Amino acid sequence: MDTPEVSRDLEKKAGYTFTILSDPQLDAIRHYQLVHAGGGPEGHDIARPAEFLVDSSGTVRWTNFTEDIRVRARADEMLAAARSIPSQREP
Amino acid sequence: MNVSTASTTAVQERRSNSAVWLGLILAVVSLLSQGLFFLKVPGQNALPWLSLVLATVAVILVLIGVKRAFFESQLYRGKVAGSIVTVISLLVFAVTVFGFVTARKIPGTAGVPQVGQKAPDFTLVDTNGQKISLADLLSTPVGNAHPKAVLLVFYRGYW
Repeated sequence: MDTPEVSRDLEKKAGYTFTILSDPQLDAIRHYQLVHAGGGPEGHDIARPAEFLVDSSGTVRWTNFTEDIRVRARADEMLAAARSIPSQREP
Repeated sequence: MNVSTASTTAVQERRSNSAVWLGLILAVVSLLSQGLFFLKVPGQNALPWLSLVLATVAVILVLIGVKRAFFESQLYRGKVAGSIVTVISLLVFAVTVFGFVTARKIPGTAGVPQVGQKAPDFTLVDTNGQKISLADLLSTPVGNAHPKAVLLVFYRGYW
């Protein structure tokens, strides 16, 4: 599990503009039932890979759960899922 | 002298052991195909199976070739090459099977939020040390627009 400092370095280096959150206590990971016990380096508990698209009402609209940690969702798949959600009202 | 000439001719007439070489090519392709996982190409879910099948077929071909080289040595060449390629293809097979089994040893998705369900809220720390909840992410305007969705990516490794 990366600390906020490690994620900040990654963010800077890669130029990411999205929010990166750290979950060292596995709070969200437990809530989402994604704990992979002993799955991390040196046997740490980590999250199994998973992607969720959540609409503005907080409802899950699309998910992807790989069966192989080497294979992840592609950006175009995630964008297509996002495009299928109608635009919301102006704030 | 005559005998020697005859035996040289016999050696030259022996066939190249194509099963061994085809097996080697497939073993190399199997190994290379495992780099495709990280390129995120379409059909990616089938790639681990493809690598596994290629590595398996490679071993079978090489073993057929080696059997020919040793048991039909009057017809086929390739005793030395076949032996070396056997070791290589078995190594590739072992690496492929190990990778396949290890990478898929992950928990199932029982109890995971499904499409149509509410995404559980959470509050975590961002890279500036600020606490941010899912509700925050769903309500904070992006530019001057209300966000229509939030993509949550639980990741390990940076690919």
